[in-house]
Amino acid sequence: MVADESQTAVPSIDTRRLVDRPLVLCYYFAALAYLVISMLGGILMALQLVRWNVLEGIEWLSPGRWRMVHTNAVAYGFLANAFLGTLHWAIPRLSLRPVLSRSLSWFIFWAWQFIVVATAAGLVLGPSLQAEPWVVKLASRWHIPLSVGAQALEWGETPFWIDPLALLGLALVAVNFMAPIVRTPGPMYVSLWYFMAAFVWTFLTYAMGNFLPEYVVPGTSAGAIAGLFIHDLVGLFVTPLGWGLMYYFVPIMLKKPIWSHGLSLVGFWGLAFFYPLQGIHHFLYTPIPMFLQYGAVISTIAVELVVTTVIINFAGTLWGRGRDFWDNLPIRWFYTGMVFYFLTCLQCALQVTLTFQKLIHFSDWVVGHAHLVMFGVFSMWLFGVMTYLFPRLLDRQWASRALCEWHYWLSAGGILVMSSDLILAGIFQGYWWAALLPWDVSVMGSRPFWIIRLVAGLCMAAGVVCFLINIAWTARAGSRAADR
Amino acid sequence: MGGQICTSRLTHWVTAVLAVAILVPSMVGFANKFLEFAVLVQQDNAGAFAIAPVLNYLLASAGFLLLLGWATRNGMFRDVEQPKWKMLEQERLLDSQQSAAGWSVDAKQTSRTERVE
Repeated sequence: MVADESQTAVPSIDTRRLVDRPLVLCYYFAALAYLVISMLGGILMALQLVRWNVLEGIEWLSPGRWRMVHTNAVAYGFLANAFLGTLHWAIPRLSLRPVLSRSLSWFIFWAWQFIVVATAAGLVLGPSLQAEPWVVKLASRWHIPLSVGAQALEWGETPFWIDPLALLGLALVAVNFMAPIVRTPGPMYVSLWYFMAAFVWTFLTYAMGNFLPEYVVPGTSAGAIAGLFIHDLVGLFVTPLGWGLMYYFVPIMLKKPIWSHGLSLVGFWGLAFFYPLQGIHHFLYTPIPMFLQYGAVISTIAVELVVTTVIINFAGTLWGRGRDFWDNLPIRWFYTGMVFYFLTCLQCALQVTLTFQKLIHFSDWVVGHAHLVMFGVFSMWLFGVMTYLFPRLLDRQWASRALCEWHYWLSAGGILVMSSDLILAGIFQGYWWAALLPWDVSVMGSRPFWIIRLVAGLCMAAGVVCFLINIAWTARAGSRAADR
Repeated sequence: MGGQICTSRLTHWVTAVLAVAILVPSMVGFANKFLEFAVLVQQDNAGAFAIAPVLNYLLASAGFLLLLGWATRNGMFRDVEQPKWKMLEQERLLDSQQSAAGWSVDAKQTSRTERVE
């Protein structure tokens, strides 16, 4: 079966104007800069856990603040920038129309960098400024929450004054990208469904998490909303963007269509209906009504079925082309991320049960899970996309295949060791706590795990260094593709 | 040719079975949650307590229910496998247009850069 000519005819368009390549490059450079900062924060935290706080005595670089920089830099600095850059490549090519406005795109780029830098400055300097007389005076005059530093919301620590700006930025992103999508004649390809949903979901999720608990909903109910925010940020922001990109990049690289487009739509609509309620599973055994907690548990387990459809679809697409897993590096990144994705979702379906939660809550299991999701899945997909796109953006081939391989193996090996190590540590910690042993026992027992975590983290960081060196070599010394 | 038809049939069957297995329970779950919520709100304070998170869920899900209806009505699922072919063909033609315009890296280098040789 092939599409007939009339359905696939591509109008003669100015392909140079379709994608703003310098903008994509700028997004990638910004993303990688924040990734380095985030990994530095992670290494500092890991060092502190093995009792070596290299920044001891420097108040504004204390571990509590670095931790927030670590998580925010990876979510809003690395992932958001890398996704935005890639969307500037994928959406115009899928819709055959440029984004609404190039100027708006550049404005959003600079505005987003301001938001991320201001967030980092707020997280690092905010708590020190908290008691300054001018801050107290300002807060009392305008009756605003006294928080120039972090907002008390996991993954939403952006200082409160940045929230309206970030929301405005997300609205502009939606308008800029939706313009070409809505003008695309249907039936639409699944990637565009995912992207469209992500723009709406991210805006709503950000508004819900950052405004309702802060200004409208009090107490435990606010806690329930915070739970929804934490998880919806993963499931309704990065997940639809990630899968949308996979549905675009995997077929064009394998040069064969996705196994079943119908099945991909089942996955999309399943995500739309199952995902929104599951975030409350972060607060099991709390005063939140049990029917909400059970609802979250059931919908989380149900999402695993949805994920299975996606995995079947991508396995079907690779069927008969297994060699590409080894030969084609971006494909290897993508499918490794998919394996990790399946594992994290399986882990999720287990850990949200009340029995399991009793054991692993507050333990390093959760940290291992979070790293597996953020690095093992989404960062790996984006590394794959960057490995594919950098040569096209720079119009040069990679300077070193060996460095590309080192990047992959150090990252994949590092995250596998780190997540396994932390997951195992979490189980040990859970049993030590359940046995009511002194706290010190669990701390001392965790130290070997924390040392392994540090080594694994250094491997992952080394992988990123290889990638950066390779980009620099490619940009400066790589021969032009056309000359070869 | 025969193998292709077999694969296509298998694809359709697997899609249909998984669609029923995934979408029907999700619709039933949605309706159940809504009823449960309506009953609870009428009964005691716990209902009022749960309004905020559940409203978030209902708003998101109701929006997607409307979108699903709109998409069905506008023929988005009429030839459900067609977009995957169209996308691939479109990409191939884009690459060849760029190649013809002397912007060679996409079309000529594809296989080499993908393999990072």
